[in-house]
Amino acid sequence: MKERSSGTRHEVRQLFSRVASLREAIVFGIAIALFVLFNVLSGGKFASSDVIGIMAISTSELGIVVLGVALLMICGEFDLSVGSVSAVGALIAATLYQLGLNPFLATAIAVGGGMGAGAVNGLVTVKFGIPSFIVTLGALMAWRGFVTLVTGGLSVIFRVRETHPAFFSVLQGHVGRVSAPLVWFVVTAIILGLLLHFHRFGNHVFATGGNKEAARAMGINTNKTKVICFMIVGGLAAFSGIMQIARSRGFQAAQGTGMELTAIAAAVVGGTSLYGGVGSIVGAVLGVLIIVFLEFGLIMARVPGFWYKLILGVIIIAVVIANKLLEQRRKLA
Amino acid sequence: MKELPLALAEMRNIHKWYGKVHAVDGVSLTINNGEIVGLLGDNGAGKTTLIKVLSGYHRPDDGEIFIEGEKVRINSPSEANALGIETVYQEQALVDSMSVARNFYMGREPVKRAGFLDKQKMNECMIPLRTLGLSIKSPDILVRNLSGGEKQGAAIARAMYFKAKLVILDEPTRALAVREVSRILDFVKGLKEANIAVIFITHTLHHVHSVADRFAIMNKGKIVKDIKRDEASLEELTEVLMD
Repeated sequence: MKERSSGTRHEVRQLFSRVASLREAIVFGIAIALFVLFNVLSGGKFASSDVIGIMAISTSELGIVVLGVALLMICGEFDLSVGSVSAVGALIAATLYQLGLNPFLATAIAVGGGMGAGAVNGLVTVKFGIPSFIVTLGALMAWRGFVTLVTGGLSVIFRVRETHPAFFSVLQGHVGRVSAPLVWFVVTAIILGLLLHFHRFGNHVFATGGNKEAARAMGINTNKTKVICFMIVGGLAAFSGIMQIARSRGFQAAQGTGMELTAIAAAVVGGTSLYGGVGSIVGAVLGVLIIVFLEFGLIMARVPGFWYKLILGVIIIAVVIANKLLEQRRKLA
Repeated sequence: MKELPLALAEMRNIHKWYGKVHAVDGVSLTINNGEIVGLLGDNGAGKTTLIKVLSGYHRPDDGEIFIEGEKVRINSPSEANALGIETVYQEQALVDSMSVARNFYMGREPVKRAGFLDKQKMNECMIPLRTLGLSIKSPDILVRNLSGGEKQGAAIARAMYFKAKLVILDEPTRALAVREVSRILDFVKGLKEANIAVIFITHTLHHVHSVADRFAIMNKGKIVKDIKRDEASLEELTEVLMD
């Protein structure tokens, strides 16, 4: 009887290790702890359906980008241009909509544009052998400049709620009580999770980020793998930008500013390695939750806004140090 | 009647230019089945360039390559793999942050529909690992948690499983401690026992001297000496290298 129960326990542990690692379990614990803490601090308001509803939208719009950013980081590269690319995507969609194009078609073109911007980042990075940190820093500034230049700093109206209710409900409506952005986020997470953890492509991503030379020697086209990851990030950033303008009814030139660092922060908090080769989609989702809980929890606790940035900065560094220490302990063991 | 031994790989009159630099200048080199060839030479002698032509990273500007008597063009590392040629860079055969199974099938993943991994098939990598006497507990263990010997064994098992005929080791002993060097040499012997030929590139003669069957010494893009081990003394080889 005893043996059998330990056998079951082993199976449970194996199943668990397949779904999530210890790292993710810790991150999950932190997310829950933050949720409980902020709920107590706010006298139960944090867990109200209103706040959860707003947080769900915020989580989703940021999270869709974070999923891509985490994938790319696992592949060993960074994209600092996601905020600007999300603005470019939103601008393309809003402009085409203003020109009378169907918003579904406009969205498809804009997402294609985002993938194109990602492809440029990726191709410049791999063909010239420049760190993607620098390439996408350039892209961050160039695309932001482009957006400001084209709009002259003015906003572009995108009132799809009134003119195309079907389109609006796909991006910002509800499925039962669940908001559409959350559905998009969950679906994106599932698709990318399958791709990363259960598909051949994911094996190439982990190999490329973990040890590029070994991956190449085994016949993996590491450049192609990287460029595809860059394109996925670009497409997701553009899509997130369009979701935002559908909600806010118009494009503004400053949209998405600062998103890149929050996105990288979420990915890192969720256990994505800054050095490539390590990370998971579950971790990325939990990382987004932690960042959003922090942001809203501090607001609701009436803590001045700069505390959020300060705490976020400290957390990122703490997580990276903790990972490094974990790594060293593992090496000693 | 004696069977003619067919060379495993033969490079004939290979040339490679980098701009105005004649990195490989008309090199011919033959590797026989199960033979360990030590490719020696100083930094910049053209060893790595020559070998990158064979492993599909570079295309030669001139010259021909024959694999088991058949003329081939090798356009990429995966084409080289398909011909049974694997390259291992400086003890970097495996990805530390990935599981044993994922490493084993890296770049050659067994898939089901739509490119999804066939995890059941991937777990079968335990069979060749056990055949080699490795006691790796599970295919899901990360390679970073393996011992040095287990990592090496896993790389040999993989080369055997995918029927590699020739493994190229590029400077595998560079910047290694004495104990690690002897591990690499064990790895090379393990490959030979599995009848896999090895090209061992190094500029430290003394590392390769005990394992190689033959030495090819390069200087300024040319092979200046190609000699069997029994025909050359350590002193003689050192002298050629010093020139």
